[in-house]
Amino acid sequence: MKHLLLILSVLLLTSCEKVLFKKDIGSANPLENFDYLWNEVDKKYSYFELKNIDWDEMRDTYRPMLNENSTEVELFSVLASMLNELRDDHTNLTSPFNVSVYNVALNSPQNYRARTIDEFYLTDPWRTGALKNDFLSNGEVGYIRYGSFSSGFSDSQMDLILDRFKDTKGIILDLRENGGGAIFNIPKLLGRFVSSKTLVGYSITRNGEEHNEFGEKEDFYISPTGNVQFQKPVVVLIDRGSYSAATFFAVATKAFSNITLIGDATGGGGGLPNGGQLPNGWTYRFSVSQLLDLNGENYAEDGVPADIDAAFDWNDLETDEILERGILEITE
Amino acid sequence: MKKLNKYLLILLMVGLSSTTFTQGRVQPFDIIEYKPTNNYTLLSFGLTNPIYRDFATSPLFYSGIGIELNASWLKTSDLRDRIFNLGFGISAQNARVPQSNFIQSGSFAGYGKFEIFYQELWKIDALSDNKNNTKIGGAILSTQNVRANPALQNNTMGLENISNLVASAQWTRDISRTKDKTLDLWLFKPTLKAAKRDLRFLLNVGVLNFNYRPGYAYAYDSEINGVETNPVEWSFANYKWSLNGWRLKTQLEYVKYLSNGNARSWSYVWEATTAPGKFEGFQMASHQLRYTIYFITKTR
Repeated sequence: MKHLLLILSVLLLTSCEKVLFKKDIGSANPLENFDYLWNEVDKKYSYFELKNIDWDEMRDTYRPMLNENSTEVELFSVLASMLNELRDDHTNLTSPFNVSVYNVALNSPQNYRARTIDEFYLTDPWRTGALKNDFLSNGEVGYIRYGSFSSGFSDSQMDLILDRFKDTKGIILDLRENGGGAIFNIPKLLGRFVSSKTLVGYSITRNGEEHNEFGEKEDFYISPTGNVQFQKPVVVLIDRGSYSAATFFAVATKAFSNITLIGDATGGGGGLPNGGQLPNGWTYRFSVSQLLDLNGENYAEDGVPADIDAAFDWNDLETDEILERGILEITE
Repeated sequence: MKKLNKYLLILLMVGLSSTTFTQGRVQPFDIIEYKPTNNYTLLSFGLTNPIYRDFATSPLFYSGIGIELNASWLKTSDLRDRIFNLGFGISAQNARVPQSNFIQSGSFAGYGKFEIFYQELWKIDALSDNKNNTKIGGAILSTQNVRANPALQNNTMGLENISNLVASAQWTRDISRTKDKTLDLWLFKPTLKAAKRDLRFLLNVGVLNFNYRPGYAYAYDSEINGVETNPVEWSFANYKWSLNGWRLKTQLEYVKYLSNGNARSWSYVWEATTAPGKFEGFQMASHQLRYTIYFITKTR
């Protein structure tokens, strides 16, 4: 037995994990990388049915464009084109020389011009954290510009802004061209305009290989936050550039009667994007979940429609028609 | 052939563990010679080379260099050993990316681990004599990995817990130098003093292998429902326990005792594990060169 132990120890010390693990599948082979990505998307992407995408057809269309000798640029081009068929800005391929982007906002007219607001509406804007804020319409309306949910603000900064606006008739929260960011900033911001904990929507996440296999609905609640609340009318300005967390925000507002969406529909981005890596080291991400409204509908991926439609007139750069409609909604 | 070798190796080790278990413990009345029980506090510093692959996010192996610190409390006698160990490791990892003929991509990740280990061993008389001491027993081994890979964006944080009930076998060979020895090295003639020394080999084989791995789509609850929770809850939302996989750990240690009862040792620790989880597996191995100081705290 002692000898057996000795032999065993020598075996273990001279062998290594390579004998025990599956082989290294790192590969620069274009076809292997194509198949890996196609399979990962097939297994986990969340919006095939809503967008009516035949993923098998995509493989049949794009795989023949590659062979074992395809260059890395050719591989990137084919993979990026295939991913763009998902029409999803939460889907990207990242290589050392390029990043693929679909760019939903380019499918619709632009509805936000920062200079128009800065030059013709704001007189003494404060920049409080990531929130630019000022009074409009002779002090009747408070205006808050939030350009990205990736940018932070503290509770005390928000307290200050809402305290400044306490005597206004209402607040306009401008989320146009807000491409999203940290989802935790949604309840942090929206929680200032609600009076009680409220269910505002759900998310479901892929949990099986069939395209329609999802897990249980997970509730999304908004609760009052901070020391200062604002219960008067709130107008949220949106457009096709309002994406991801901004779309989550827009869906959530539907649960509150004091909040009105004005502008164009949001760009979408209701799926949580999760990342991964290809056998050649490039990385990717795509949506693995769906955002549902209170009725269980998943339209948010295609955009949350505004309660009141309005559009920016690019023939008149001194007027922001969407902002004007928001002011009217509060002051009339 | 590699697959066959792998299974033979595992069968051999499991077989060894189960057959030696049937040998039974030595009862206290078997003791015919007084041998003390020593309590030690052990402090270790190791250089380690962790290698892992998480199929949930990447097919690539990540390999790196780091350090590992361990603190242990050991109660040892001729008949029985008990040890409780707390370990912490940290390293920088790089993906083993295939060579590019255009622009080379690379991925950097940070890796940390926390480990708890408790083991009890009993002597097997049939496999022991004056120079050799063989003990078998069992252990509980739990490892918490924390990985960070920013290139994976929303999946930057990689976590898994791997907990095992393991069968253990330890063979200790007394290689003490009983009298001073002078070496003849031409100009130098150093004298090696008599010293108590042990060569020890420890084998741990997972018998019940648990792992706590992400759900199907590797999504964190809090990113879904926008609720900020405490970090542990946030991290493990949607994770699931599985009873599958395997774990092996070996340690070859050279111990030299000092005249005051303390000791120091050098050891080579190798470990490998797979945690298939419910959906996509995790594999990990590490090689470590470890220096340990034994502080004797009690003898009776």
